[in-house]
Amino acid sequence: MMWVEILSRHRDVASRVRIAGTEARIGRGYDNDVVIDDPYVAAQHVRIFRDDAGQLVAEDLGTANGTFLDGSKARLVRIVLDGTQPIRIGHTYVRVRDTSHAVDRERVAPPELRALPIVIAVALGALIVAVEVLHMWLVQTSEPKASNYLSPVLGMTAVVLGWVGMWALLSRIFAGRSHVLRNMLIALAGVLAVSLYNEFANFAAFAWTWPIASDYAYAVLWVGVAVVCFLHLREISRSRLWLKGALVTVLFATVIGVQTLQQSEAFSDAGRRNTARQLFPPALRLAPVRDEGTFFGDIAKLRSKLDDDRTRGLADEADR
Amino acid sequence: MRSAAKVACVLVLSLAMLPGDSRVVRAASEAPAAARSAAESVYAAAPPRLLQIRTLVAEAGRQASIGSGFLVSADGLAITNYHVVAQAALEPKTFRLEYVAADGSRGEATLLNVDLANDLAIVHLDKRDAPYFTFDDAAMSGSLSKGEQLYSLGNPLDLGFTVNQGTYNGPVARSYNERLHFTGAMNAGMSGGPTVNAEGRVVGVNVAKQAGGELVNFLVPARFAAALLKRTREQEPVSDFRAEIARQLVAWQSGLYKSFGAEGFRATVLGPYRAPEASPPWFDCWSQTNAGAIPRPRASVKSINCRSETDLYVARDLHTGLIQLSHSHVSTAELNQFQFASFLTQLSQARTMSGGAVRKWFTPERCHEDFVGAAATPRHPPLRVMWCARAHRKFEGLYDMALVAVTEDSGSEALVSRLSLQAVGYDDAMALSKRFLQAVQASR
Repeated sequence: MMWVEILSRHRDVASRVRIAGTEARIGRGYDNDVVIDDPYVAAQHVRIFRDDAGQLVAEDLGTANGTFLDGSKARLVRIVLDGTQPIRIGHTYVRVRDTSHAVDRERVAPPELRALPIVIAVALGALIVAVEVLHMWLVQTSEPKASNYLSPVLGMTAVVLGWVGMWALLSRIFAGRSHVLRNMLIALAGVLAVSLYNEFANFAAFAWTWPIASDYAYAVLWVGVAVVCFLHLREISRSRLWLKGALVTVLFATVIGVQTLQQSEAFSDAGRRNTARQLFPPALRLAPVRDEGTFFGDIAKLRSKLDDDRTRGLADEADR
Repeated sequence: MRSAAKVACVLVLSLAMLPGDSRVVRAASEAPAAARSAAESVYAAAPPRLLQIRTLVAEAGRQASIGSGFLVSADGLAITNYHVVAQAALEPKTFRLEYVAADGSRGEATLLNVDLANDLAIVHLDKRDAPYFTFDDAAMSGSLSKGEQLYSLGNPLDLGFTVNQGTYNGPVARSYNERLHFTGAMNAGMSGGPTVNAEGRVVGVNVAKQAGGELVNFLVPARFAAALLKRTREQEPVSDFRAEIARQLVAWQSGLYKSFGAEGFRATVLGPYRAPEASPPWFDCWSQTNAGAIPRPRASVKSINCRSETDLYVARDLHTGLIQLSHSHVSTAELNQFQFASFLTQLSQARTMSGGAVRKWFTPERCHEDFVGAAATPRHPPLRVMWCARAHRKFEGLYDMALVAVTEDSGSEALVSRLSLQAVGYDDAMALSKRFLQAVQASR
């Protein structure tokens, strides 16, 4: 007795046929034990039987397209089957297993902790809203209005829900399960990380005079989106993670590159950076106060940069 | 609101394009014939020596801008404004000059010399033994009296030559470059034309009118025109006008900043702070407050703005030489420290320095910011300073700079100070910034 399994392109089992006899015939014709509707498969394509040593063997029945081991391009007439590696006939993958094929031990079910992820998701959501509302309150210089606070929070909620819904749908289509909660956790963690970074960058630009932290905040935003996308893809299926990682990396590296280019071109057109510098209360200053000599020493250094910009500009003009 | 009108400042009187609204208001009745007036006799003598100066696009052969001018010698030398011929001076391959005299004669005009600081230029016409204007002696010695009747000549809006009557009102107060105040009607296109007295002698050259003013016009004193004429006769002819303009600009700004440096700042009190205000007489300072604003502001702002009356026309898309400084004392009882810092953020962004088409004339701006203590005394509060500068592409050694300083000594009160200098040498810019920052003090 044996089992013949028809596999999908992703090598998942699509259907499974129990063969009671010692031999199984596979092909497109209806006289076979296993019938395959693949136009590239012969009417009588392959025969599975046990050889003298008791191993299962696949024998090609003289077909036009032949029989192959999965992943190999060598056409074979007889293949000894190990129950793990599928064979390919036409465009169809077939795996044959003995009834004695060993299976893994059952996984131990996790303890019933279904409440925890929900609690985490709610906590993350609350934290995001708290950070956002606190930020808006601290930069509120006019009379506070409820709509100033409500509309951004509602807007952000709608975006997060839409995003999670999209990934849940993709996951449902490609993996069969929507994993709403996990996708929600990934998205919320991403939003929280990016929004905390933005606050930190504005603070660092003031407290330590690190303007670079907020000048390149857009790059950090895109890295955050890239990581979130990768985690969503990983949730759909854990196979070929390197390929997904590479795709996401290339995509978002391109996005960051394009935005950097756009900003540098806008800078050379407008002649100035359009980034606003946020001030914080004097008590939050962490960098030491420089004496005037040091400060004007730094400013004297700008001069050669400006002169370089100028000579480069003149050279460009001369080229034209 | 008047300060906003002041900022709109001075319009030069060359005409680049006819205004879209060209409705003509016709006189309702004919004026009765009267005895020959002074204006009539002034105009009657003008035609062969009064000119329209046209800047033509060399290849198209049509005017790109027009102004006026007048002959000052028998061998065909004529005075006009620099801003009338600026395109031809800066882009001699693209533009050429042509004159049309009030008697109908016309021909080529050649640029001989310019005076950037006084907005004057001399052109040569192929005219021999033509009548010409002479300069008035009283005007040359500055002994003209206010209220004297003057007649301004030119070709406004390309509608034909006109004579306008008006009064002399003395030198303009607060102007760094000396200008005369003429009260009368003037329009675009009259730039470079002469303003004469009843005897037809030149008192000044039409140059600009005050935007937002009524009949307020400015003349370049005749002695600058006479000096330029003399210089042109004595000196080697100018071959490269771009280099000459650059040389004059550098010389002019060096005098300007030397004069500013010598007079420097005087202290003014704003709340608990002492702040530097500009002391030269050619600064115009105004104060503002947001006290009456609706909705009621949650922080109070009281500010002083000073700007120099030093605007210099270099090209249609480049005015320079402006010095501006301002101080805003900001305090609040309602906002918390973070909210107050956000309020200051809005007031302290490094603003774009105006002054011309950015890419053509300037390198991109470079900035440096830090916490600075002007001196380690309690009188000098720590400052958050943002210092930005850009180089003039076409004039070596000249920079525009702007700084913003915010005091960092209190969570509910601060002074936001700005200084911006146009067309300044780098060392002058640093020295003036240093003095400016040192003069920001707290009296607490």
